[in-house]
Amino acid sequence: MPAHDLPLSAYLIVSATLFTIGVTGVLVRRNPLIIFMSIELMLNAVNLSFVAISSFLDSADGQMFVFLVLTVAAAEVVVGLAIIVSIFRTRRNIDVDEMNVLRG
Amino acid sequence: MTVIQLSFFVLAVASVASALGVILFKNAVNSALSLILTLIFLALFYLQLGAMFIAIVQILIYAGAIMVLFLFVVTMLASEADDTELHDRIPWQRWIAAILGLVLVGALSYLLFTGTTIDNGAKATGGNQLSQVVNSQGNIQAFGLALFYGFAFPFEVTSLLIIVAILGAMVLGRRA
Repeated sequence: MPAHDLPLSAYLIVSATLFTIGVTGVLVRRNPLIIFMSIELMLNAVNLSFVAISSFLDSADGQMFVFLVLTVAAAEVVVGLAIIVSIFRTRRNIDVDEMNVLRG
Repeated sequence: MTVIQLSFFVLAVASVASALGVILFKNAVNSALSLILTLIFLALFYLQLGAMFIAIVQILIYAGAIMVLFLFVVTMLASEADDTELHDRIPWQRWIAAILGLVLVGALSYLLFTGTTIDNGAKATGGNQLSQVVNSQGNIQAFGLALFYGFAFPFEVTSLLIIVAILGAMVLGRRA
């Protein structure tokens, strides 16, 4: 285990800040690609707190969850980008404010 | 101030700055590159916390595979993506979002400072201590043992998730 020169709350505050930046990005931006990137940022902020808590508890469980979150994020990006590309094919426009119907 | 503390503060400032770049850049390609930087800084955080395997996987899968896919789609749709931010139908939304973000980070920090801490208590007991396994068997071996003894079923279920994601991408990507 690495020596902990810092309290756990230092890592958790960085994680909370990154999560908040992700939330703000989802609220502010109109481009669905950047909204997707903000969601990735939120997932990674949570991963940081998982790894930090795993290290401070001296348990491997947090790292397992990070591994599973990585898989879920990869699957989510594949499906999400496919949806964005297919919307772009039919609408020629990817503003989230304009997307208000479910049929193509 | 030790080297670890110094590197923590450098990494914290750098990761928050590059994360701000993700949501502030006008061009989606710049945002994607900024996100890659953030992911690499987070991998350095993981290295600092002793999670070697997670750090390498973060760079390989996130900064490598996932972000290449992102950049591919961003450059494919780039001509349209640039001018979507210009006609904002709800102009005050930006300020409300900034205020709500400040409220959220304030609330989270308040909870972190007033809640209970696990800095020096509640450690894993017996043979479950990660540091012992890492010292006796190695880093990736410790990860693999924990994965296949405690998390074998979730690990198998992720294969189902990946199959469904591949099928979904094929169905959505096929020309109608």
